[in-house]
Amino acid sequence: MRAAIEAAKSGLNVALVTKVYPVRSHSVAAQGGINAALNPADSWENHAFDTVKGSDYLGDQDAIELLCREAPEDILALERMGAVWSRDFDGNIAQRPFGGAGYPRTCYLADRTGHGILHVLYEQVIRHGVIIYDEWHVVKLVVKDNAARGVIAIELKTGRLHRLHSKAAVIATGGYGRVYKTTTNALSSTGDGMGLALSAGAALMDMEFVQFHPTTLPRTGILITEGARGEGGYLLNSKGERFMEKYAPKVKELASRDVVSRAEQTEIDAGRGVDGCVLLDLRHLGAEKINERLPQIRDIAINFAGVDPIEKPIPVRPGAHYSMGGIMTDVNGMTAIAGLYAAGESACVSVHGANRLGGNSLLDAVVFGRRAGAAASEFCFQTAFPEFPDSSLKDAAHEVADILKRDGGEPAFIIRGEMTAAMENSCGVFRDKERLTKGLENIRELKERYKKVSLSDKSDCFNTELLAVVELGNMLDVAKAILIGAVNREESRGAHSRTDFPRRDDEKWLKHTLINKTNGELKISCKDVTITKYKPAERKY
Amino acid sequence: MKIKIKIKRFNPNEGEESREPYFQLYNVEAGEGMTVLDALLKIADEDDPTLSFRRSCRSAICGSCAVSINGHAKLACKTQILPERHKFGEILVEPLANHAVMKDLIVDFSPFWNKMSRVTPYLTPPPGRQEQADDVKITPADEAAIDRAQTCIMCGACNSECNALEIDPEYIAPAALAKAWRFVGDVREGEKQKRLERLSMEHGMWDCVRCVHCTEYCPKDVRPLKEIELLRSAAIGRGITDNHGAKHVESMTQSVKRVGRLDEAAMTFKTLGFLRSLGMIPFGLKMELHGKMPMPLIFSQIEGMDEVKTIFDEIEEKKKEKE
Ligand SMILES: Cc1cc2nc3c(=O)[nH]c(=O)nc-3n(C[C@H](O)[C@H](O)[C@H](O)COP(=O)(O)OP(=O)(O)OC[C@H]3O[C@@H](n4cnc5c(N)ncnc54)[C@H](O)[C@@H]3O)c2cc1C
Ligand code: SF4
Ligand code: SF4
Ligand code: FES
Repeated sequence: MRAAIEAAKSGLNVALVTKVYPVRSHSVAAQGGINAALNPADSWENHAFDTVKGSDYLGDQDAIELLCREAPEDILALERMGAVWSRDFDGNIAQRPFGGAGYPRTCYLADRTGHGILHVLYEQVIRHGVIIYDEWHVVKLVVKDNAARGVIAIELKTGRLHRLHSKAAVIATGGYGRVYKTTTNALSSTGDGMGLALSAGAALMDMEFVQFHPTTLPRTGILITEGARGEGGYLLNSKGERFMEKYAPKVKELASRDVVSRAEQTEIDAGRGVDGCVLLDLRHLGAEKINERLPQIRDIAINFAGVDPIEKPIPVRPGAHYSMGGIMTDVNGMTAIAGLYAAGESACVSVHGANRLGGNSLLDAVVFGRRAGAAASEFCFQTAFPEFPDSSLKDAAHEVADILKRDGGEPAFIIRGEMTAAMENSCGVFRDKERLTKGLENIRELKERYKKVSLSDKSDCFNTELLAVVELGNMLDVAKAILIGAVNREESRGAHSRTDFPRRDDEKWLKHTLINKTNGELKISCKDVTITKYKPAERKY
Repeated sequence: MKIKIKIKRFNPNEGEESREPYFQLYNVEAGEGMTVLDALLKIADEDDPTLSFRRSCRSAICGSCAVSINGHAKLACKTQILPERHKFGEILVEPLANHAVMKDLIVDFSPFWNKMSRVTPYLTPPPGRQEQADDVKITPADEAAIDRAQTCIMCGACNSECNALEIDPEYIAPAALAKAWRFVGDVREGEKQKRLERLSMEHGMWDCVRCVHCTEYCPKDVRPLKEIELLRSAAIGRGITDNHGAKHVESMTQSVKRVGRLDEAAMTFKTLGFLRSLGMIPFGLKMELHGKMPMPLIFSQIEGMDEVKTIFDEIEEKKKEKE
C-alpha cells in the first residue's frame, strides 16, 4: 500500500490487487513497534550499526544506512497521514527499548502498531483513488523478454481469471511463515510472491535465514510478544529451572531472539521440555502488574491457550516468525526484470541479513515500499506500454482448469501437513547436513505428489480449496529454496545454525545466497555483501 | 471429545434444487482451547473442503472471520468451542446477519466498505492546505479521545447486530460512524463542521435507535454507540440542529426541563413540525390499539420537579466552569 500511495501521488493509474481486503493483511498483527532514531541523543548511524551487527554482518550496509537515515522522515510522514504515535508526558513521540538496540528507538501505537500503520495506509489508498481489487488472488506474474507485463489473478467471487495489464508491478505479498508447522504468521502468509517471482525468472536471496521467535503458543503459533520477558517473565524447563541463566548469564531471558530460541530448543531436545514446550512464567509479577502492563498477553493466553498467566505458566516454543530472505532487489525495490519491483517481507534488499531486529521490518516495508513505488512510477513515465502476451492468460486458465479437472488424487492438506512437518524437523532452529538432505528429498517427493492433487470443490464462487492448492504449489517452491540455501551454507550465522558447522566463517561465507529457476530446476549462486564502514566483528551481546 | 457443529450453508453454483440455504451437521474432535475457527479449518481440511469461510490472522486482529455463532455476531477465531457449547448446548454457525450471503459463511462486504468510504475515511488537512503540518502538538489526552475508535478491526459484527440497519439498509451503520468519530475527534482534522453536517443527513447518525447492540457485540470493545453519542453532541455543540435527530434531542431536553419527563406528543410536534406530525396520527392510533399510547395525552409535571431543576442548573454551572 505504501508503494501504491507513492505511485498514485505521481498521477499514475494505480491498482492494488490483494487476496484479502487490504486491512486484513498480516501487517495488522505486528504489535511491538517500528524503529527510527528520532531523539537528538540517538543517531541514524547508531541505528545502522545496531542493524548491521544484528544482521551478523550479512546485511548490505549501503541499504542499511539508507533505511536508517530515511526512517525518521517516514515516521513523521505516517503521522501526517493520520497515524497517532503514542506520546510521552510532554507530547513527544514515545519510544521504547527493543532487543538488540543500543537506544530506545522503537515508536509504537499502543500494542497495535501494525494495525495502526495498516489502517492509515488504507485510508490514504482511498484518499488517492487507488483502485482496489480485493479478494483477487494473483496466480501469475507475466514476464516476456525480461520485462514485466502485468499479472493474472483469480477473482474469488466468480472464479474468473483476469489479466491486469500494466507497465510495472510491485510485489508486496509478505512472508511465508506457513511453510512451517508452528508459525506466528497468518493463514494467508504463504509466500506467494516469492514463488511467483521465482517462476517468472527473478532471483531469491538468503532464503535459508528464517527467524524463529522464542515465545509462540504451541498448537496455534500465536505470538506472545517480547514484552512478556521485558516485564520480567521467566523461562522454565520441566524441572522448574530458569535455564537462560546457563545460556546467557548476563541478560538471561532478554538475550536476542535467535539465542533464546536455540536455548529453548536445546532444553526441549535434551528431554527437559513439557510436551514439546518450555514454560513462560509470569506468576511472580502478580495479578496487578499483569493486568496493568500485559493485558493483551493475558487475553491471548486465556483465549488461545486456555491458560490464565496469573495462575499458571504459559507453554511456549520457538515458531517461524519472519523471513529475512526474499526476492532480490536493489535499494529502489528493482529486481533483475524490467518493471518488476518488490518490497516488504517478500523482498530482500538486504537490510536484515542473517537476523532481523525487532521493529525493523515494518520500517523496511514502509521505507522500501515508498521507494519502490517512486521508482516504479519513474519507470512508467519513461517506458512505452509493452504488449500483454495473449497466450499467458490461456496458459493460466489451462493450469487452473487442469487442477479442477483432476479426480481421485490426494487432497492438498495431507501434502501441506507433511511439508510443514518436514520443514520443522529438518530446517528448524538447529540444522545439519543429514537432516537437511532428508528434508530436501521429502520436499522433492511431495512436489511429485502435488502434481496429482485433486479437489472436491469444483465450484466457481469462493473456491477456497482451489486457492489452497495454488498456494501450496508456491509454498513447495519456497520450501525447496530455503532448504537448498540451508544445505549449501556450511557455517552458522544469525538465525542459520548448523550443528555440523557451529562457527561463522567470513572467509568463505560473507556472501549472499541467490536462487534462480532455470528450466524448472533451482540453481544456486552467490553475491558479495556490500560493506561500507562497519567491519565484520564477532557478534556478542 | 466429539462435538456437533451445525453450519448454515449456501452455494449459488449448485443445482437448481439446492440453491436454498440448508443446514449441515459436522462432528469435530474438540479439545481445550480449540476455537470455532480451528473447527472450521479442521472440517474444511478433513471433512468437507467445499465449506467456505474467510480467515487470516487467527488472532482476533484482522477482522476476517466474523460470523454468527449461536445467534450473535462473533469472531470465529476468538470464540472457544467448549465454553460456547457449555453455555448454549450447541454450536450453530451462520453467516453474519444484515449482509447478503455469497457462499456458505461468506457475505457480501461491499456495502460495508462503501459505507466506510461515505465518511471520507482519511484525515483532511485544514482548508487550503495539501498536507498536515508537522507542528500540531498532540497530547496524550488528544490521543485518548480517539483511541477507542482507532482499535476497530472492521469485522462488521456491529453492523450485523444493528437494529437500525436491519430496517434501513442505507443507514450508515455503527462501524462507519466509529470511523467518522476517529476523524471528528482528531485535533488535527480540518473539516469537522462539514463532516458533522454530512453525518446529520438522512440515513446518518441520527437514525441510530440506540439499541446498544453494536457496543454489546463488538469484539474489540470499540463501543460504537459511545462514538455516535460523541458525534451527536459535537454536532449540537456546533449548532447543526436543522434535522430531526438533533431537534428530537432538544425537545427531549426541554420536555424534561419543563415537566420532568418525556412529553411524547409535544416532542413529535417539535421534532417533525405540525404538518408531518399529522402524518403520525395513524401511527398514534395504532399505538392506541396496542395499548401503548401514554395516558393521559397531556402530561402533568412529575413530583420532585425541584430536583430536575437542580440537575439542569448544575449542568449549566459545569458548562460555565468549563468555558
Ligand atoms: C505476529 C507478528 C508480529 C510482528 N511484530 C512486528 C513488530 O512489532 N515490528 C516490526 O517491525 N515487525 C513485526 N512483524 C513483522 C512485520 O509485521 C512484517 O514483516 C510486515 O508487516 C510485512 O508486511 P508486508 O506488507 O510485506 O506483508 P503483509 O502485511 O503480509 O501483506 C501481504 C499482502 O499481500 C497480499 N497477497 C499475498 N499473496 C497474494 C496473492 N497471491 N495475490 C494477491 N495478493 C496477495 C495479501 O493479501 C496481503 O494484503 C511481526 C510479524 C508477526 C507475524
Ligand atoms: S445502538 Fe444504534 S448503531 Fe448501535 S446497533 Fe443499535 S441502532 Fe445500530
Ligand atoms: S466497531 Fe467493533 S464490531 Fe464494529 S467493525 Fe469495528 S471492531 Fe468490528
Ligand atoms: S481470523 Fe483474523 S480476526 Fe479472526
